[in-house]
Amino acid sequence: MDNPQRISDGAKPWVEQTETPFIRISNLTKKFGEFTAVDNISLDIYREELFCLLGGSGCGKSTLLRMLAGFETPSDGRIEIDGQDMVDVAAYNRPTNMMFQSYALFPHMSVEKNVAYGLLRDGVAKSEVSDRVAEMLKLVQLDGFATRKPDQLSGGQRQRVALARSLIKRPKLLLLDEPLGALDKKLREETQFELINIQETLGVTFIVVTHDQEEAMTLSTRIGVMDQGEIVQVGEPHEIYEFPHSRFVADFIGSVNIFEGRVTDDAENYVRIHSRQGDCDIHVSHGVSCTQNQKLWLAVRPEKMLISRHKPKGKYNIVKGIVDEIAYLGNLSVYRVKLASGKTIRVTKSNRDRRDEDSIGWDETVYLSWDNTAGVVLTQ
Amino acid sequence: MTAQTPILPVQAILRRLARHGRSLVIAVPLWWLIVFFLIPFAVVAKISFAEAIIARPPYSSLVDWTSEGVLLLKLHLSNYGYLLEDSLYVLAYWSSIQMAFFSTLIALVVAYPMAYYIARTSERRRNVLLMLIILPFWTSFLLRVYAWIGILKTNGIINNALMSLGLTSEPFIMLQTNFAVYVGIVYTYLPFMVLPLFTNLVKLDNSLLEASADLGASPITTFFKVTLPLSVPGIIAGSMLVFIPVVGEFVIPALLGGPDTLMIGKVLWGEFFNNRDWPVASAVAIVMLVLLIIPIMLLRNAQEASAEAAR
Repeated sequence: MDNPQRISDGAKPWVEQTETPFIRISNLTKKFGEFTAVDNISLDIYREELFCLLGGSGCGKSTLLRMLAGFETPSDGRIEIDGQDMVDVAAYNRPTNMMFQSYALFPHMSVEKNVAYGLLRDGVAKSEVSDRVAEMLKLVQLDGFATRKPDQLSGGQRQRVALARSLIKRPKLLLLDEPLGALDKKLREETQFELINIQETLGVTFIVVTHDQEEAMTLSTRIGVMDQGEIVQVGEPHEIYEFPHSRFVADFIGSVNIFEGRVTDDAENYVRIHSRQGDCDIHVSHGVSCTQNQKLWLAVRPEKMLISRHKPKGKYNIVKGIVDEIAYLGNLSVYRVKLASGKTIRVTKSNRDRRDEDSIGWDETVYLSWDNTAGVVLTQ
Repeated sequence: MTAQTPILPVQAILRRLARHGRSLVIAVPLWWLIVFFLIPFAVVAKISFAEAIIARPPYSSLVDWTSEGVLLLKLHLSNYGYLLEDSLYVLAYWSSIQMAFFSTLIALVVAYPMAYYIARTSERRRNVLLMLIILPFWTSFLLRVYAWIGILKTNGIINNALMSLGLTSEPFIMLQTNFAVYVGIVYTYLPFMVLPLFTNLVKLDNSLLEASADLGASPITTFFKVTLPLSVPGIIAGSMLVFIPVVGEFVIPALLGGPDTLMIGKVLWGEFFNNRDWPVASAVAIVMLVLLIIPIMLLRNAQEASAEAAR
């Protein structure tokens, strides 16, 4: 073993580049008639990763997953799993298993039979099957439910049966299609951590498809953000959040304020931008590859902005507006501030004090400011 | 809120109407069954206990006033006994059930792939194919059976084609054999098998088939482990719709069958119209009904029990 460190111990093979990727997707395209669902995607995923494909509905993430499982044939391109070309391998011969969004439990079989199904198809001996099924049901905390039918289970239990069934064959790669979509919020949060635990215990590579950005942030080692059949950015959760490559990614993950502006001063170690939308001058404390007068955008997260009644010192990164709406969320308050240009800015303020007598109210004139490192300059 | 909202009188009236409406909806089919099924059944049952006489109608009445003013109820059980005495009836029942069983089986084997294909194909093609399944109903049933005579007879379409191709020198004798009866029955009753199977298979969730494949089952294994078990309700419904009417089928064996085609429908017809022995004919009909109802009830109970166990 060249690299004994596991991903669960903090190894990052996608940075270190020492390991050969476990899954290699190259120039993969899928067309349905005129419509291109997956457009020339290339992607490497490493062993024991928990990779999330994140995107809105119709972005092609499920189609990509179904091509990995073998339910769709690619129009073009290659899929390699563990060095083996998969394109001509039928779904029932692939070393992958899938957990379906609808769970797809066999309604005429008990929990036990559902979980045992995959092993029995491989001709595993009956005694071993029952041992492994019992062990797996224990892992997903369903011992005692073995003889129930799927329609006698709750949503959360069904989800765990589906997980057990897809893990029983110890697949090299587990594909999960919106695995937690049907659960309510509280259960979803608990299950997210359970899923991570199971993944780390078994050392299986997971590819998860989801439209829920919070879920993607919690679960994954890396996220691939998809839009219109293309992967627009791949990165670790904090990279995606703090260093988005485009307005689409910045806007899709979390909420963000985007100021459109033009470069007024392009130096080696700083940039100045004038935004007519914000009626302000913006100072960014690092160099950006751009030209004088180029149009670009600055993205600032709501929690990185300060709201105050009095104008802060300095010339840059300050906008003035009127409080339009306040949403009290308990741990924080969200202010929607309307600027003179009509643009609305979102600012969050954490509620440190239980009682804030002097809090900013509706219709007050306020100043919003941010650090010259807080924003991300986007050119697309 | 402590005080309950008062129910408006209009609401109360509407509610009462709704309650009556429900029983009205049930009453219509109930009365239909009483008038057109239960009463005729009672009449036939009554006749089956009478004695055949040469009169009009050709049976004795069950109730008599004697001259001493005694009300006599005479039930002739001999008609039922007669059915056991003459082996003809037992054989006819047995061969009817046999014919019905095998034609149901053949219809199932033929209909299943058809229904499966229709259920899995694109919606546009599906509607066309369903139309084609239903289309034969637009011509008279009798005409269609007569058409089979033209196809199967010694100098019919099949034999002429075979002989002109030189595949055979002697024509095959197909008409007036049990083979012709099977062909006629399977042809006639096929839609009754296809349609319930289709309605079942069209509901089959594709992700179940994908899940099965994903877990390593070949398409054939998937069919026997997932598709077939889940389509059992459709198979039962279709089989009932074919089996029950075929047991009592008269027209097809009469037109396509030969002298050795023994079916209870034909026997029944002969008893009524040739022998004019209405009581025995009625007894034949009643026994047939009982023979059919018992297995159906058993099946239903078994189904309910399995549905209960699943819950």
